[in-house]
Amino acid sequence: MRKRILFTAVAGLALVALLAAPAVAKTLKIGSMSPLTGPYAADGNDIANGVRCAIDMINASGGIPGYDKIELYPQDTACDPKQAVAAANKLINIGVVGVIGAYCSSSTIPASEALAEEDIIMITPASTNEKVTERGLPYMFRMCGRDDDQSKVAGKFIKEALKAKSIFIVDDKTTYSQGLADNVAKECKKLGIKVLGHDHVNQGDKDFSALLTLAKSKKPEVFYMCLQNHSSGSLMAIQAKRMGLKAKILSQDAMYHPNFIKVAKDAAEGIYVTYGYVDTTTDAYKKYEALYTKKYGEIGAYATYAYDAATVLLKAIKNAGSTDPAKIKAEIMKMNFEGASKWIKFKPNGDSSSNYIVFVIKNGKYIKYWGPEKGFF
Amino acid sequence: MDYFIQQLINGITLGGVYALIALGYTMVYGVIQLINFAHGEFFAAGGYMGVILLNWFIGRGYMSTHPMICIGASVVLTMGYCAFLAMGVEKIAYKPLRSASRLAVLLSALGMSIFLQNAMMLTQGVFDKPYPIELAEGSLTVGGITVSYLQVIIVVFTVVLLVGLNLLVFKTRIGMAMRATAQDKVMSSLVAISSNRIISLTFAVGAGLAAAAGIMVGFYYGSVRYDMGFVPGIKAFAAAVLGGIGNITGAMLGGLIIGMVEVFGAGYISGQYKDVFAFIILIAVLYFKPTGIMGENVDDTRV
Repeated sequence: MRKRILFTAVAGLALVALLAAPAVAKTLKIGSMSPLTGPYAADGNDIANGVRCAIDMINASGGIPGYDKIELYPQDTACDPKQAVAAANKLINIGVVGVIGAYCSSSTIPASEALAEEDIIMITPASTNEKVTERGLPYMFRMCGRDDDQSKVAGKFIKEALKAKSIFIVDDKTTYSQGLADNVAKECKKLGIKVLGHDHVNQGDKDFSALLTLAKSKKPEVFYMCLQNHSSGSLMAIQAKRMGLKAKILSQDAMYHPNFIKVAKDAAEGIYVTYGYVDTTTDAYKKYEALYTKKYGEIGAYATYAYDAATVLLKAIKNAGSTDPAKIKAEIMKMNFEGASKWIKFKPNGDSSSNYIVFVIKNGKYIKYWGPEKGFF
Repeated sequence: MDYFIQQLINGITLGGVYALIALGYTMVYGVIQLINFAHGEFFAAGGYMGVILLNWFIGRGYMSTHPMICIGASVVLTMGYCAFLAMGVEKIAYKPLRSASRLAVLLSALGMSIFLQNAMMLTQGVFDKPYPIELAEGSLTVGGITVSYLQVIIVVFTVVLLVGLNLLVFKTRIGMAMRATAQDKVMSSLVAISSNRIISLTFAVGAGLAAAAGIMVGFYYGSVRYDMGFVPGIKAFAAAVLGGIGNITGAMLGGLIIGMVEVFGAGYISGQYKDVFAFIILIAVLYFKPTGIMGENVDDTRV
């Protein structure tokens, strides 16, 4: 009996010590939201690790004055809108200053509305849907590109670099591919490029001979191939070559995949691809790469954007010297520096600069070809 | 006019492939009244086996010295492999259910399809596998029409196989036994035809044709993928029903029609509705002629 009382007393004391500890040390709390389980778990964990890496980097350079430590509260959204809202509410209760997330646009949008009620800063590293920053939320920022950035770059490329006057567009009817193809069509019309046709194929189609015959008969200068998946892309490229389609082929980021070239082989040669480019030769990237790979392993697709987003948030808090959202926002808008993923500068609506450039496939490799600001490389 | 002819050529190529797959459905149905949903997977397995064999020949260096023999051997071995695969599937999944209800066999077929597809995914990976060589590069251009040599080869090879099958079914004793089994299993076994052997043989022949289609499609599209059997399988099944299920000539005709409708639908109206057109034709034909185009004349041409 006496033993048990002693044990309880010790345990109680330990608990008090645990509870008391955070009260003594001043902790900066930030949240992250991404799918940590389910089909997108790989990307989601990359996002959480990117944020952790940014915290490590800030700590290594002396942390944030006035705080003993920075605590991350990673939440799982599972790419589910309901779970994302629940995660946002949980972060509100924890009392975080800012949130990095979410991943799926369909999660980011409802979650950001919950966070907006409490004026909590949210920076998404991965949601590309236009609506994310088009709703007039004052504290919503975006680190990655937008769906319509890509179409603007494509339009400009067709007009200025290829100097083409006509285009034939094909997509495979997913929200992403059809949305992008529609935007490219709009962009082309704006630039005075004639859209000779805009046709659709089904997901999983293997035979594109009918469509390519149609495209060939219209004699477009550019054939815009907008497909969700690189495997249909390689099939279409092979068949286009065999059919003798003379148009230049331009495609989008899904074709930036080693398997696309591996399957299409010489049919892939000369195809142009727009892709959000991360320059891995900058000092900022190399510093980040060294720290990240040591602790978290291979750098995944969205880790770099998450790292930059968290860096922006933490730097802004540091510069503002306060957790007042309006002051942090003012600091974010002042940002103008070389991030790991790209040059970071925010626009008034919360978007950051786009980093889409055009690659050309040459000798089985993606070669940097043209950028909207720089022109030809 | 050039455009029409070009689309016609596209349609014949695609239709030929559907016809080859449809034959397997229709022959199996003719003999045991089973819709073998795993049939599309034999087509995919054929495509994969083609890649594996060709890579093996290339690895040994035979491809550069005797290309024609290697390709020919790949095709024949692939057809043989799929024939044995189909016989195995029949023994495991269908034979024990010979006296069970038809629904049970149908479910077994669906299960087999899922099993085979996943087996291919697990052993061969989720990404597309490229075909290592190009067969007959180049094309023939007459006026505005382009016909690749590969298209010619596919059509010729398809015709050869179809003629061969017709000879097998209608001119040989085995074919006669097949037709007899299709008409009446009890009666044919009374005249010493082993229905089990005939059923096995039917599966083997059907799968061999599907495998030939698989390897040709692999060459034609340049790659194979584990789920490549599903959509063509459904289309070929539709083709078999359209032509009159159980009827060999009907399956050939049905395949051609489905291929043509798809291509012309996509070429003249819109690509996004091409599957819709194929199935509208199917529904329309079945509405007026429920047994399919060639379905009436059951006893003579049925297998």
